[in-house]
Amino acid sequence: MSSNTGPTSLPHRTVSSIRAGAHSTTAPVPPQTPARPITSTFGSPSASSRVDEDPIVIEIGSRKLRLGFAGDVAPKKIVAFSPDQLRRTGDFRVWEPDFASQWRGRASGKPWGADHELWKLDIRHQDLALIGDKLERELRDAFFKYLLVDSRPRKVALVLPPTIPIPLLSSTLDTIFHHFHAPAISLLSSPVMTAFAAGTRSGLIIDLGWHETTVTAVYEYREWFKDAHARAEHKEDRLRDEALSFEECEEVATRMLWCKKSARQPYRRPAEEGLPTVHEHEEEVEEEIPPTEDHSPMVITLNSCKPPKTVEIPFLRLAEPCETTFFDTRLSPSCFDDNELPVHLLAYRALLQLPLDVRAICMSRIIFTGGCSHILGLKGRIFDEVSILAEEKGWDPVRGKGVELYKTNLKLKRGNARQASNGGIPIVVQPDATSSDGEAMEPPVKAADVPQEVDQVEDLIKREQNYKPSVQGLLRAIDSLGPWCGGSLATQMKTPALATIDRDIWVQQGVNGASRPSEVDVKTGQRQSMGPSGLMRGQVTQPNNWTLGVWGTLF
Amino acid sequence: MASFTPYTYIQCPCHDSAVQGRTADDASPTVSHELDEDDDDHAFDPRAHRSTFSLYPLEYLLYCDVCHQIRCPRCVSEELVTIYCPNCLFEVGSSSLKTEGNRSTNPRAFFAQLQKLRYGEDQSKHVVSGDTSPTKPDSIPDTNKARFAALKSFYGSQTINANPSAGLSGLGDYGLSSPGALTRIMSIYSGNNMNGLKQKNKHAIMREADSTNEGFRLVDLDESSAISQLRRDGWDGTATSAQGKTQVEEGAQFADQLWPIPYLLRTKRSKRCPVCRHIISKPEPKVSNTRWRIRLAANNNAIPTISIKPLNLLPGSGSGSGLLNPLRPAQFLLTFKNPLFDDVKVTLATPATTPGRFASRVTVLCPEFSIDANPDNDMYLDDVLKDGEKERQRQRGDEGIHQAEAGKIWDRGRNWVSIVVEVVPASLRIEPPPALLRKEGDPEQDLSPLREDEDVLEIPMFVRLEWESEASHDQVGAATTRDKDAKEKRELAYWCAIGIGRISQE
Repeated sequence: MSSNTGPTSLPHRTVSSIRAGAHSTTAPVPPQTPARPITSTFGSPSASSRVDEDPIVIEIGSRKLRLGFAGDVAPKKIVAFSPDQLRRTGDFRVWEPDFASQWRGRASGKPWGADHELWKLDIRHQDLALIGDKLERELRDAFFKYLLVDSRPRKVALVLPPTIPIPLLSSTLDTIFHHFHAPAISLLSSPVMTAFAAGTRSGLIIDLGWHETTVTAVYEYREWFKDAHARAEHKEDRLRDEALSFEECEEVATRMLWCKKSARQPYRRPAEEGLPTVHEHEEEVEEEIPPTEDHSPMVITLNSCKPPKTVEIPFLRLAEPCETTFFDTRLSPSCFDDNELPVHLLAYRALLQLPLDVRAICMSRIIFTGGCSHILGLKGRIFDEVSILAEEKGWDPVRGKGVELYKTNLKLKRGNARQASNGGIPIVVQPDATSSDGEAMEPPVKAADVPQEVDQVEDLIKREQNYKPSVQGLLRAIDSLGPWCGGSLATQMKTPALATIDRDIWVQQGVNGASRPSEVDVKTGQRQSMGPSGLMRGQVTQPNNWTLGVWGTLF
Repeated sequence: MASFTPYTYIQCPCHDSAVQGRTADDASPTVSHELDEDDDDHAFDPRAHRSTFSLYPLEYLLYCDVCHQIRCPRCVSEELVTIYCPNCLFEVGSSSLKTEGNRSTNPRAFFAQLQKLRYGEDQSKHVVSGDTSPTKPDSIPDTNKARFAALKSFYGSQTINANPSAGLSGLGDYGLSSPGALTRIMSIYSGNNMNGLKQKNKHAIMREADSTNEGFRLVDLDESSAISQLRRDGWDGTATSAQGKTQVEEGAQFADQLWPIPYLLRTKRSKRCPVCRHIISKPEPKVSNTRWRIRLAANNNAIPTISIKPLNLLPGSGSGSGLLNPLRPAQFLLTFKNPLFDDVKVTLATPATTPGRFASRVTVLCPEFSIDANPDNDMYLDDVLKDGEKERQRQRGDEGIHQAEAGKIWDRGRNWVSIVVEVVPASLRIEPPPALLRKEGDPEQDLSPLREDEDVLEIPMFVRLEWESEASHDQVGAATTRDKDAKEKRELAYWCAIGIGRISQE
């Protein structure tokens, strides 16, 4: 209820209101004037005083840190965590000539690759203060060496995966507030930012990350649905059983892995009734020698084993880790636990669980992101697998033998064919004949075939100059500039973040001071949309109840 | 591995405040910290992961002479003095930093890079044409930049569309002349939201980008050409991860996607104490001048330097290998050198056994002593005095030569004192260690293999300094004369970690 003053005062400054003003000269014009002072008083005062200071955008993943100024195309520094950064200041042993060959001594007694990540999502045995220290060192290093900033307080925008637990978030915020004296930190969710950087308002973000692959459906800049599973990059490093150093393994993994095309290409099918339409692009031109049959050895020089040696791995086998990590095609879907579904199944299920309209929008905005998406062919493979799944199974969550029997039963099917298709994508059936023809000439047309009535409201929307019909209902993959760029864009446009935390309040209250999003007024707290109204609104942060946005929901 | 130089690390006291600032975290870190506080024996463990971040060599530390506190790189606030390119030594203005980025734009530097790339990395079949024009005009940096700009302008146009600076047109007529004006204004201020509701469905929605000049792009899912390139070029054709990391743009996969890297700019910075804002370090602004205008380094202004050398009189110190023999007592000389112009009283404290899995015994034979003042920094005087000093030293040292005695210092000089520390290194066997050396109350026996640097005998030592100096805070290094003014008692206490030697593993 308290939100009424906020949002309602805003839409006055829209195009429509001005045009309306032209029609009926008086009506909508006066409200504009009071709208301005309201925004300026509610908006954060610090923003106006530090206009020239670009906020710093930081994207934190479990292995990499991206930093840069808002408005930059690419981050100024990408930090990959590694054990060498955990040395004491003034320990220069890294530069000793035989340092690299002694990795065995250094790595012993620790889990494999443990020092290469900032945190694990399972926080049970982690020292949060240590994480804060690591983060602080890397941030300081990047700030002073790459961003070339001084210690003046700057606003910070954090791009975070929505899955990180609150203790980690709290530790991060503590570090930044305490050591870098940021006056305010705004939190942005990385899937939303990925969609933003792709130029879309919604999308199905498949983040192939280090710990896990997350499929997030973003609809109108709100996270709708999240599904995470533990199938991720670090499994793929089990390339060879020999004792190899983590660094080398990773190098092999990032350099050489590729991904087979799916065994069956999704074929184009005429748009039949009851089946979702899958528009495939042009059939790929067949190669002379398909890479899948290539057994020619690839020579890889390994330096970290004793003695250094050169191994030859058939090209085909280099695709295997991908196969086992992401797809596991050999096993039937019922073998997988909920958190270890193959990626394509996960994406399909995520789509399936979405409401109809949202699914139609999201399926045509599939966005791949994350470190593993650079594996050659992986994106295409996942996309193909998902389209095959959609083709075979439709968008019907109910399946099994009973359903198949039911569907094949002709008697029952006739009446229900429509329903089955309704489970799929809303295809606006537009018969060639004009609407008057359809109504007048053929009365016994099925109800579903009747052309839609002219919707006045929709017409109004369409008449808007800005309107363009949005693509929906076909599977389509979109390229995004990545969450960091999204964060950079959004911060520069002064989009209100999901949550903005002031330093003073944080220092006073800590993480416990955050109210649950449900307690705060929903409209201002959690569901701030990035519509034009939101863009100019400034932060509506009441000092009494602030939230951690989506990150605070489990709290 | 064989060579080992003894070292001293000093813990900046600022790490405490960082922990205490952490109030509402999960249980685990705070609990462990409370334990630390309670238990004096384990007050500081140089092996703990966190202490990595608060330990510094003495040279890295500064000293604020107003607050009388050590300041480490973590707890100073910095200000830019000069930004320059380390290669061509051109100074760069801070305004151009914003527009041109953090890398050198001097064409000369770029060209040098190109040459290096051409001649240095021949093996990677990478052909860079001599001129600086990019080989592929539409390659990665261009497209990303262009897309970003397109997206930005698209979003900008959308927001402007939605909110034109309509305030101006609205300002023209307030509509006050019309009869309904008053009621309308009243309704605005009374919070009657009728107007708002009416407006709501008209508010324009930001559209999605849908063409390439708006920054929209479909993914090219067919990566078979890249796969065949991988197949053709093999291992050497791909960019190494080290190459990828140093690239300015992310995402180079093949060697022919690599670009020359412009030099990263560097800065000169002045440092301030975060508490009193006093400048504690300030370089000369000129690029070519490497001097400091102000530099209150801790080793010149407060903290005595500690040098370590073995007292080679005893058998069994393993002089040949430079390693410490387990379970054999060894004695070391710690020499404290006083940088101050006042006499300093030093009190040392170490735990009886070193923390960690391999607990070595440590005994400081003389934990309390005082060091004479640093008489003068004058070089010539130093030379003149040297002989006399040596003589005195010999005279005083006479009694100490044969036997290190508890409670007595080993040797003393003009502004230095050396004391003896006796250690009994622990055995590095991983099997459950002898009960003698094992402290009671250690519940778990960690039998994992030897970790990195766990064989180094490192002594945590608490150092407390006490001295009297003039009460004035005004000047930095000018307090040479010891007047009989009102003296002020100062004290400084800190933890340090002293690496004595490596224990041999048999």
